[in-house]
Amino acid sequence: MKLYEFEGKELLAKAGFAVPKAVLLENVQDAPFLPCVVKAQVLFGKRMKQGLVKVCKTQDEFSDAMTVLGKDVNGEKVEHLLVEELVNIKKEYYVSFCYDTETRGAVLLFSEEGGIDVEEIGTVKKVPLSELHLLKTEVNVLAQIKRLADVFVKSDCRLLEINPLAVDGTGTMIAVGAMVELDDAAQGRQKWQYPPRFAIRSERELEVKKANDVDHHGTVKYVELDGDIGVLAAGGGASLTCMDALVAAGGRPANFSEFSGNPTAEKVYTLARAVMTKPGVGGLWIVGAVANFSRVDVMMEGIIRALKEVNPKFPVVVRRAGPYEAEGLQMLRDAAKENGWDVEVHGSETGLTATAKVIVEKVKKWQS
Amino acid sequence: MAILIDKNTTVLIQGITGGEGRKALERMKDYHTRVLCGVTPGKGGQEVDGTPVYNSVREALEKHKVNASLIMVPPLAAKGAVLEALDAGLRTIVCVTENIPLADAAVMVRRAREVGAVLIGPGSVGVMSPGLGRMGPIGGPRDVLERVYEKGNVGVISKSGGMTNEVSFVVRQAGLGQSTAIGMGGEMLVGSAYADLLRLFEKDDETKAVVLFGELGGTYEEEVARLLKNKEFTKPLIVFIAGKFAERIAPGQQFGHAGAMIERGKGKPSEKMRMLKSAGAIVAERFEDIGLLVRDAL
Repeated sequence: MKLYEFEGKELLAKAGFAVPKAVLLENVQDAPFLPCVVKAQVLFGKRMKQGLVKVCKTQDEFSDAMTVLGKDVNGEKVEHLLVEELVNIKKEYYVSFCYDTETRGAVLLFSEEGGIDVEEIGTVKKVPLSELHLLKTEVNVLAQIKRLADVFVKSDCRLLEINPLAVDGTGTMIAVGAMVELDDAAQGRQKWQYPPRFAIRSERELEVKKANDVDHHGTVKYVELDGDIGVLAAGGGASLTCMDALVAAGGRPANFSEFSGNPTAEKVYTLARAVMTKPGVGGLWIVGAVANFSRVDVMMEGIIRALKEVNPKFPVVVRRAGPYEAEGLQMLRDAAKENGWDVEVHGSETGLTATAKVIVEKVKKWQS
Repeated sequence: MAILIDKNTTVLIQGITGGEGRKALERMKDYHTRVLCGVTPGKGGQEVDGTPVYNSVREALEKHKVNASLIMVPPLAAKGAVLEALDAGLRTIVCVTENIPLADAAVMVRRAREVGAVLIGPGSVGVMSPGLGRMGPIGGPRDVLERVYEKGNVGVISKSGGMTNEVSFVVRQAGLGQSTAIGMGGEMLVGSAYADLLRLFEKDDETKAVVLFGELGGTYEEEVARLLKNKEFTKPLIVFIAGKFAERIAPGQQFGHAGAMIERGKGKPSEKMRMLKSAGAIVAERFEDIGLLVRDAL
């Protein structure tokens, strides 16, 4: 989970790090102090370049900077502004901790030059956390970095980026910019209380997210895209493979979806309903690899329930295999016959991606 | 001979009394695998389907000659379980548990490397050596397994559990069989990535070619390109990389596995395919081409 800047700085302050003096605003009001920096609280980066961070010397400038409150920027609503004192920066560093597949562990990304374009400049060094003592920099900076590394690990962050880590006129090190991403897998031991957040593109995405979080029996994921073919895909790798095949066959996916780990029929139902009810969907492709332990009959129970509710006129093409394959596929054939749906069913006798062109052609025909 | 699991493999299951642990036990016993005992702290003295349960790995090893551990414990207990197995001297560990905090995964992976153990996973669906045995739920019930797996000369590696099966099925439909199939796990940090496993396949006489199912995100496929260039893997390697659509439609969005994300321009499928091709791998443009390519390579 990504944290807003003010939440990230709270986390740092609690761990004993200096952050700029600040006030968090939700409503339009006069400047609490001047000069100040007004920062729109959004989850994406590069805010400076988009005019979402403004230095204000007068009340007029401040009032102008406040107009962003409540606005939609890149699909996110600006609900908070962080108003901070201006820090008198004498020197700035770039300090970022994350996990890295090359070293298969936690690393520090470090530069003696902080700033907004540091990642493009190419002065950033990568140091595994286990080799921090080899980093060549001033003693007090290294000490601060070691303490930050400790916070990064103990607070279960995926990312902890301080840019810049500034030294002010008095020699104090202050975290002027902070980006924090928490590791959701650690929720069980960290017991974070942050309100949920993600760029919601539709009610359907929200419903699937809620259904997913009900229990830990399998996962369902749903992301809307611009096309017209609904995709109900099983498995992390198979869902990617099938999306590629659909696009290669000239199809335009209406969404990305994935269900895996033997999810309950209820979860699959919610996902299937979301996929089918997206406006403009002209076909449904149900596809997945030969499952190891997800039961085909259980997933079909959820899918049939959604089909009954939506009662689609558009074509449906299926390729699914694994445990209880014959039973599951027969359930779907029977339901289709009974309700007059256009459903074409394939099992493991057909290749994983072979039905991509079938659904593309059927949808074309149905739309014309 | 196959890799990781052979006729001498004897297994202990950590988390044997849980639902997933019981199911794995049943599946493994049903397929040639000698599971001698299990461990669940606090449940020592019990039995699961005739298999004795101990409170700790050390205690279990005093009574049984075991050389591999299967980890089926809850996510937050996984680090402790893996370290316990390593400390007790086990050197082949398959961790099926997924959704493990990265801080824990990093510790597990590092410790395994330090002591020279082979850690598969976290997030692995298991390891299957047809005719010899399996560790984990890989292959599912016997009827599915019999359709997908058959002893042969092709190694299979995939992050994705479902695709470990599907790729193995494609190999089978091409009239071939598998030496060993491995779900290496879809988590960002894993104990054994493609290159590590290819080194094992290189040494295995029975393996004549390997199929690798790769995905967008991370750098594990890049390691393979280096391995090929250094001639550390010299058998035919057939590669498919999934996730090309994300480059075009939605970069920066996470699709599929936790490790699957194009960050800061890194991890693009097109780039991985280019690198692997120039390093000498046989790259399948379409998934359905894999079968023919493997057959041609042998």
